[in-house]
Amino acid sequence: MLERSTQVASFPRRGGHYRVMGFDAPEIAERVRAGQFVNLLLRPGPLLRRPFSVYRVLPGGIVEIIYRPVGEGTGLLAAMQIGDSVSILGPLGRGFEFDAGWRSVALVSGGLGVAPMWLAARDAREAGLRVVWVHGARTEAELNLEWLGDEVVYATDDGSRGFHGSAVAAVPDGVGAVLACGPNRMLAAAAARWPDAQVAVETYMGCGTGVCLGCAVPLRAGGYDRACREGPVYRAADIDWDALPSQLHYAVGA
Amino acid sequence: MIPDLSVDAGGLRLRGPVIAASGTFGYGTEVPLLERRALGAIVSKGIFLRPRAGNPPPRIVETPAGMLNAIGLQGPGVEALIRDYCPQWAAWDFPVLVNINGESADEYGELAARLDGVPGVAGFEINVSCPNVEQGGMYFGNDPRAAAEVTSAVRRRTRLPIWVKLTPMVTDIGVIARACESAGADALSAVNTFVGMSIDLHTSRPRLAFRTGGLSGPAIRPMAVHLAHQAARAVRIPVIGVGGIVTPDDALEFLVAGCAAVQIGTATFADPCAIAKVHDGIAWFLEARGLSSLAELPRYLPRD
Repeated sequence: MLERSTQVASFPRRGGHYRVMGFDAPEIAERVRAGQFVNLLLRPGPLLRRPFSVYRVLPGGIVEIIYRPVGEGTGLLAAMQIGDSVSILGPLGRGFEFDAGWRSVALVSGGLGVAPMWLAARDAREAGLRVVWVHGARTEAELNLEWLGDEVVYATDDGSRGFHGSAVAAVPDGVGAVLACGPNRMLAAAAARWPDAQVAVETYMGCGTGVCLGCAVPLRAGGYDRACREGPVYRAADIDWDALPSQLHYAVGA
Repeated sequence: MIPDLSVDAGGLRLRGPVIAASGTFGYGTEVPLLERRALGAIVSKGIFLRPRAGNPPPRIVETPAGMLNAIGLQGPGVEALIRDYCPQWAAWDFPVLVNINGESADEYGELAARLDGVPGVAGFEINVSCPNVEQGGMYFGNDPRAAAEVTSAVRRRTRLPIWVKLTPMVTDIGVIARACESAGADALSAVNTFVGMSIDLHTSRPRLAFRTGGLSGPAIRPMAVHLAHQAARAVRIPVIGVGGIVTPDDALEFLVAGCAAVQIGTATFADPCAIAKVHDGIAWFLEARGLSSLAELPRYLPRD
């Protein structure tokens, strides 16, 4: 885990829905594994850091995140310019694990759950796996059309593109393993279909380093552990999905 | 010359006045970035005799210049603490105090007795101010007789230094402060979080599963400075100021207002090096004014 003052290095904006922003952070770029995250501190900005899955890693040591400007932190991010400073803490958390014995893997994402999948595809291919990229959103306009792998399947709730239905339902049979990220409700559905899937959960987060115990994840075996340390990637069947909040509404206000 | 920042804090001589606040630093083993040279002491995450799961999520919500938490004193229980953490503490060059909790005065006393003499345990901070548990916690801290009873129960079972962490949710903190002093406390930590609530307009429900939580961060600092000052006026034992400190100037406000030392909590979440930065900033402040030690800092502390 490293803390560095870093600069915004790129922001190739895409579509109307998502923004991608790159930070100059070579040490993190070198170490980060799929599913791990960075915690960004914006000054001026809200009191606490904001966690983001690492999206892509670019040559030259640039770490990218993908986000939607919905709250105070992401609104500030969207207004930043190349060269502006942020403090970046990472890589944090425990990422996805890969096993060459699977032969193939489905990377299943809903909406912004696409965030860890680029690195997951990279690491899966390094492990010699065939990658089926499955990405869903409410509508075609909300899909993120960047993908990496051997086969791509899109799904939309309204049927405006690809499979008409959820990303979980769109996954073809016969894949060797499933890695999923998206709204917790979607992950609960993934857990019902594939108990052994690896899922990256979303929680509110305080410190990102394991000391505040704010990012509690309820476990089927009882008790809680920390999304920022033991997670954010879990075996799907290990989580008590009924007790994990399914929809997060961030709001700080003035 | 580097000014002498060492302080007396209730039976312990600390090399610096900046202490890691309970619940914001785990058991001291989690934050590898922190520059330990600057730590005056650590107060551990609050512990009970038995393991506790803590509260269901959501447990935290950010608020303007602050955060609400309702963690619920999740912890492994005292036996795991002794097995897993105390041996590490024994090797460190700064003291670790254990923040102790119970549902009755006897439980506090039992915890102190179990931990007394364990290598690595330098003292206790009695938590009579947690707003996030159903039994005990803050309910001992807003009644002077109950606060004194808990303090006495611990005093009878240990000769180690005892700090009592006070709740701000009282009419007159001086009354509680004096009750704890009379019952044998060596120092007071002032103050714990303020009780607050935040409503999610999407669901028309509280954002925290526990309904309410403890408010910390810069939002509470002026209130915390006032309460720490009121406590310091009321007693002769040292008061350790806590509440919303982010910068060296914030810490100096508490020190000038009569505190012997300070604790930093929420600021560590945003900046794992916050304690070192505050420590160094206090040193620069003294140096710039030609003061050779923290003891020479002018104070504002009229006595009641």
